[in-house]
Amino acid sequence: MKNNKALVEIVRIVVVVLIALAIGFVITAIVSEEPVAAYTAFLTGPLPRISFENGFTITNINRFGNWMEESTTLILLGLAVSLVFRARQFSLGAEGQMLLGALATAIIAVHAPLPAPWHLILALVAAGTVGFLWGLIPGLLKAYLAVDEIVSTLMLNVIALQLSDLLLFNWLRDPNAGFIATISFPESVVLPLLIPGTRVSLMIVIMLVAVAATWFLMERTPFGYAQKMLGANRKFAEYGGINTKRVIALSMAISGILAGLAGAHLSLGLLKRLTINLSSGLGFEGIVVALLARNNPWLVLVAGLFYGYLRTGAQIMERSSDVTREVVLIIQAIIILLITAEQLFPRAQRWWRERRGDGEMVIDRG
Amino acid sequence: MSIETVLQSIFSVAFIATVIRVSTPIILPAMGGLLSELGGAINIALEGIMLAAAFTGVIVSGFAPQWLPGAPPWAYAGLGALAGVLVGMAMGWLIAFFHLELKTDIILTGLAMNILAAGGTVFLMFSLTGDKGSTSTLASARLPALEIPLVNNLPVLGTLLNGENGAGYNIMSYIAFLLVAVIWVYLYRMPAGAHLRATGEMPDAAQSVGIDVRRTRYWALVASGFCAALGGLYLSMGYLSIFQANMTAGRGFIALAVIYLGNRNPIGTLIAALIFGTASALGAQLGTLAVPPQLIEMIPPTVTIAALILYNLRRQARAAAAARKFQEQAEAGVKA
Repeated sequence: MKNNKALVEIVRIVVVVLIALAIGFVITAIVSEEPVAAYTAFLTGPLPRISFENGFTITNINRFGNWMEESTTLILLGLAVSLVFRARQFSLGAEGQMLLGALATAIIAVHAPLPAPWHLILALVAAGTVGFLWGLIPGLLKAYLAVDEIVSTLMLNVIALQLSDLLLFNWLRDPNAGFIATISFPESVVLPLLIPGTRVSLMIVIMLVAVAATWFLMERTPFGYAQKMLGANRKFAEYGGINTKRVIALSMAISGILAGLAGAHLSLGLLKRLTINLSSGLGFEGIVVALLARNNPWLVLVAGLFYGYLRTGAQIMERSSDVTREVVLIIQAIIILLITAEQLFPRAQRWWRERRGDGEMVIDRG
Repeated sequence: MSIETVLQSIFSVAFIATVIRVSTPIILPAMGGLLSELGGAINIALEGIMLAAAFTGVIVSGFAPQWLPGAPPWAYAGLGALAGVLVGMAMGWLIAFFHLELKTDIILTGLAMNILAAGGTVFLMFSLTGDKGSTSTLASARLPALEIPLVNNLPVLGTLLNGENGAGYNIMSYIAFLLVAVIWVYLYRMPAGAHLRATGEMPDAAQSVGIDVRRTRYWALVASGFCAALGGLYLSMGYLSIFQANMTAGRGFIALAVIYLGNRNPIGTLIAALIFGTASALGAQLGTLAVPPQLIEMIPPTVTIAALILYNLRRQARAAAAARKFQEQAEAGVKA
């Protein structure tokens, strides 16, 4: 019975994704001169080309690398959002936590020179800590003062962005860079590379550890149990002796650690410096990942790889055709709309049945 | 620039004119958000609706001369504004449909609309104009400014009523203030407004006395789309006369915060929006001093959070006082 339900859920998600991709294709076909070529680039672009002609060669490894880099950030953000969603909260603060995480790494990178492993470790710890604290603020406000977490996190995002710009413009900026950015980070703080020819770094391992740790936290600890009870029914959880306020505040704070690490990935892994306009809304992309994965950490891994694939494919499509990458945002919006529409499939079913019913009535009359 | 000149420019009538201009695109969406919030259906897509309407207004008014050559210029502007408003209302309706019929979570639906607008406008802008940044290649129309006649020769009043160049405020600024009054009358002096508030406060009770909760919420969300669209149109057809990618820059979210800051009523919301506008205008003025503009930009969100904390502290204190009073009365009743 339980397996059956899970299967229906998976089928549902796959159908939703297919519908969204189909609508995406229709939109592409309307605006593009060569929609098939564009969509082919979109859907197959991130795959490396393997050929056996002159021995075994792999080309386009950088595209595969882009896919993995993109997915690493998205999975960390998806985990962050899942943790908050599990506690039935609606924090939209991942964006700000990510920015401040990146800011913290930049401060450590530029102003705290340390020997090799410690520099990187300190930068990562700083990113996680800052994310934790920036998540704790709306968490405490929500738990103890019932301050609406949507408004407070959106405001904290604005503050985080301005704070980051303020420090970058006035203190961290490299005057010789020619644009607003820090110096290139020293080797001691940059994430070690794992796949040459790409920017896939140690962060992919940290991300996998984070997936496992989030799963452990959710499924094997008293905190995870309390979170589950809270998500199911807050009053019941309180009767059961669970300190729901503490769980709410901690859920948002722990979520901040993961968002902070996503920020560290951007600065220490991908850009290797801090620039302005670091994110442009990336922090909100974790939501679609968490929704596709139904807040399950292992499925976040799958959903993050899938959505990272789409985003990378869209960038490749933009470079090789007349369609812009924003098509992926349209597809994302449709996925969110359809996947949260609980009544979509029952309604479609009822509509279908009624139609068939009408047909039978006609036959009866005949 | 010295402090004196900055102070002089702040304590001047021209500064008030600037505040009105900067506040207009916050007041309009905030009024829309207030309607849906009071109806019990929070609309976080104000930002996306503004963006979509701003884009539609520019595109339609820009391409209208090709479709209808020879019409007077005001007709193009009107057509663009009409299309923008219709798009805004359609988005409001779509949120209502998904939330009320298909039972989606309204917050996630609103987020999806924001993403759709952010992606869709850039996508269509590139397809229609070949540019991803702005529609600067397209000659689009501007909504008119209304000049109050005869006052320009008066020293202070002229600047106050018609702005520093004497050309008058954009029509949307007048609509914004008018809308505050209209919504106040609607909410507190008309039965339909009372029904809307009842729907938000206690839907079951409202339903039981015959108010159609579903229909009220549909209406509230469509109306909020209408108001937010006006705000978007002001940005692209009044404040500027082009569309830029992400030109709303978070104003829709600020509008949402302003509603809470204004204690969820039209007058309070207006005042809160003006506070935000003043802070922004102040930031622009102080930017000429050594004060970093980012520091000024941090003031409004910080004020919002502080106001939310105070609001909830007061509410908790009031609830505690009411509980204590109830307890005392109950004890007095037992003794008697």
